Amino acid sequence: MTCEEFERVLPELEGDHNLEQHEHVKSCPLCFDLVSDLNAISQEAHWIGHGQDPSPRVWNSIENLLRQEGLIRDPQPQLVLVPPKAAGWRFAWLMPITAALFFGAGLILIHQRVPVQRASTPVVAANQPIQPGAPADAEEGQLLKLVASRAPAMRTAYESNLRAVDAYIHDAEVSVHNNPNDENAQQYLMNAYEQRAMVYEMAMDRSIQ
Amino acid sequence: MQCRQTVASVVVAVVLVGTVFAAAETRKEFHFKVHRRASVSLVNQYGPITVKPSSGKVVSVTAILNSDKVEVENSHRGNRISVVSHLLSGADNDSGRVEYQVLVPADSNVTLHSGTGPLHAEHLTGDVILESNTANIDVRDLSGGHVHIKTLSGPVTLTNVSDGHVEITSVGGDVAMKGVNGPLVHVNSTSGRILYDGDFGGGGEYALMTHTGDIQATAPSYASIDVEATSTQGKVENDFTLQPSHSLAARIGSGFAGTMGQAASSVKLLSFSGRIHLKKR
Repeated sequence: MTCEEFERVLPELEGDHNLEQHEHVKSCPLCFDLVSDLNAISQEAHWIGHGQDPSPRVWNSIENLLRQEGLIRDPQPQLVLVPPKAAGWRFAWLMPITAALFFGAGLILIHQRVPVQRASTPVVAANQPIQPGAPADAEEGQLLKLVASRAPAMRTAYESNLRAVDAYIHDAEVSVHNNPNDENAQQYLMNAYEQRAMVYEMAMDRSIQ
Repeated sequence: MQCRQTVASVVVAVVLVGTVFAAAETRKEFHFKVHRRASVSLVNQYGPITVKPSSGKVVSVTAILNSDKVEVENSHRGNRISVVSHLLSGADNDSGRVEYQVLVPADSNVTLHSGTGPLHAEHLTGDVILESNTANIDVRDLSGGHVHIKTLSGPVTLTNVSDGHVEITSVGGDVAMKGVNGPLVHVNSTSGRILYDGDFGGGGEYALMTHTGDIQATAPSYASIDVEATSTQGKVENDFTLQPSHSLAARIGSGFAGTMGQAASSVKLLSFSGRIHLKKR
């Protein structure tokens, strides 16, 4: 038996230990001290008997003292914002009808909006060709300039690789856009960006330029 | 007259001999004592690097320099060795070429960077990292270590690689794997083809993914796999009977999924527009 196990069952023992628990207490100084302290507290608490409650005069003097200090006050009349049900409840039946009317109006508004939103995000066809002869963006143009300055012979290879990766990213983004919950589409996009990161990293690696 | 001709011949001969000497290869050797799991790094823009295991705790580097337009710098700090080919002014892919033959303790962690390569590593048990622009990369008989390969368009070949993580990223280079097993085999390719011939063993996670490249995976009939193959726009073929077999046409593109044997390994074959074929050996 470990100390943890003993502490877990201790509240349920009420002073009775089985053989295993007894052996543990005998062999473990920490648990022995714990049980001893608990027994001492229990013995002291036993002396606090029923006949030792303070008299009502004591409670009254404590209450007076607390009132003088301002720590307790008599309850004040409260401002009621909502009048108790009286005349107004004669029209209570209007409330659910009003709520239903608002709910219905909200549904109508939502349905009117959704087709507009759908129309504004049309399905984009995949494999849209990238314009030939144009660098993907300014960032890639800078990268190709860097490659050209360090290893002119590699510029063409890097450019064609970047184009291939850009096409990958484009197709992957379209796929995720059209199917946002498709795990494979998400995986494609991650792979595509990983490819791009690799190309950038290798282009900027001075050690092999 | 004859004297002038003789002198002219001698001058020409001297010039020719001098040219030959200037273009002669230079051989350099370095030896480093190391402890277990040494880190060995080589950077070589032009020329092959071959790494094989040595006996004992010594790293031996033999560098054959093609000309005096390149020099080899090396450093040895603690258990870390670095060798770099430093190109001098006017060097090109011929004059700047250095051929490296490297012997390392089998448990060494090896990192090779090369522009044109080729790169070759074999019979190692440490981690191996290979990066190249266009070099042929050939790795064989590795076990226990992790293998990381990055290439733009160089072809990659792995043979008998086991019990480690294999991660390959290739933009346009084809990746061919034979007898490659391990807890993790991930190949990410844009347009390169992926060819796998093995048993998908080891209870691992296999993911072969391309954008436009084809994927061909050849496995035995006793393979124990949980396989999913999907191509968004390409064709998908399967030679096996899978349990339960169902089509993934309801998802995006076409594909198949199912299990064989105890489904010990997870296999994902994904291609955006390439063709996927799971072949039976």
